[in-house]
Amino acid sequence: MENQTLEDQSLENRTIEILLVEDNASDIELALRAFKKNNIYNKVHIVKDGAAALDYLCRTGPYAALQGYPQPKLILLDLKLPKIHGLEVLRKIKSDERIKIIPVVILTTSKEEQDLIESYKLGVNSYIVKPIEFDNFIKVMSELGLYWLLLNKLPYK
Amino acid sequence: METILEATNEIFIGVEAKKGYNSAILNILDDFVIEKERLQQLQRASLNLLDDMYEERIGLERTQRAIMNILEDIEAEQQRAKRSQQLLEAANKELEAFCYSVSHDLQAPLRAINGFAQVVVEDYASKIDPEGQRYLRLIQENSQLMGKLIQDLLGFSRLGRQQLSSTEIDMEKMAKEVFDDLKLHMLDRTIQFQIDPLPWAFGDPAMIHQVFVNLLSNALKFTAIRDVAMIEIGFRQEGDEGFYFVKDNGAGFDMRYVDKLFGVFQRLHTTEEFEGNGIGLALVKRIVTRHGGRIWAEGAVDKGACFYFVLPKEMR
Repeated sequence: MENQTLEDQSLENRTIEILLVEDNASDIELALRAFKKNNIYNKVHIVKDGAAALDYLCRTGPYAALQGYPQPKLILLDLKLPKIHGLEVLRKIKSDERIKIIPVVILTTSKEEQDLIESYKLGVNSYIVKPIEFDNFIKVMSELGLYWLLLNKLPYK
Repeated sequence: METILEATNEIFIGVEAKKGYNSAILNILDDFVIEKERLQQLQRASLNLLDDMYEERIGLERTQRAIMNILEDIEAEQQRAKRSQQLLEAANKELEAFCYSVSHDLQAPLRAINGFAQVVVEDYASKIDPEGQRYLRLIQENSQLMGKLIQDLLGFSRLGRQQLSSTEIDMEKMAKEVFDDLKLHMLDRTIQFQIDPLPWAFGDPAMIHQVFVNLLSNALKFTAIRDVAMIEIGFRQEGDEGFYFVKDNGAGFDMRYVDKLFGVFQRLHTTEEFEGNGIGLALVKRIVTRHGGRIWAEGAVDKGACFYFVLPKEMR
């Protein structure tokens, strides 16, 4: 439900500060609840697979109309994604001159060693494991928002 | 007459001379016979030698065939070993993919269970009576517990596949650091801690660190029932073998169940008595055995426990 209200508002009229790449409906709802608590709810755009994430960032496919609009301040990227795996999305982002400066935070369920190493090799800015306990989850999301949207300075607006 | 005599004499001389010739010829013939025999002997000896050489050659050929067979066997064995290795690698890959999937797909629903239970607690608190709220808390607690179990099990499985590094470890320093770290969380307790001089060991520092963490956490956990907890870390040399030990005066255990002590998810106490999920010692055992060492324990109910472990002295 909450998801739909977000999609009702046209993307052109909203300032998107966070791109959330997540396929799990429950995780999306819980993340949105956390964002709502931190008043960044309407600054989030959600895509549900790796291909859509790249379309959004490269302004291709369904997002061609967003050409010229500002890019998000943060990409929250899950790893196990349909179509294109999170690590591959990360590799594409970090090898594309136009979007490589956008901070990417991996937000995933597992802390598999090989994922961690590979993510950092590809130039990820941070790697966060989603806590199972909801209070901790809320805390992590709020800290993420605070740090990347308020404290962190970016070389673009 | 004279002439006849002379002639006779001459004949006589001739005969004598002939005799001389004859005997000389006979001598030569004798010599020939001897020579022939010698030659025959030589020939026989040569033939024998050839026979011997022939046998020798057959023997060599047989050895050569045997060696070829062995080489073929070795090659076949190598092929088999290579196939087993490939199968093992494939199985390992599969296990890794399985763990990866478990790690992601099994935990995501838990987060949802926990999260939505919390949502109900937050949004509908006024509509749910205290008993209902208690049930919600239980849902949350158990989903967290399951998350921890999954994490521990994955850690345990990962340990079996992880590469071991091998460096020299200052065991005394490491044990002391681990203890100091753990003690920070229980400043209200009275603990008598003793550490003897410990020889260095070879092993994977991160893993041996985990051994100390688990053994000392256990010692601290099971001495929580004592007014004064006594924990001792030491080293003993018996013959060729030297072993480290961690000893406590805690709840101890019944030696009848000592076999269960190191099994995965095996516990000798209820979670009400002492918390835990029964993976700590299994992990310790796996680490020690992967290092080529061994671990065992002694204890008695209410008399404390002592864990001994041996680590290799040299780099592998």
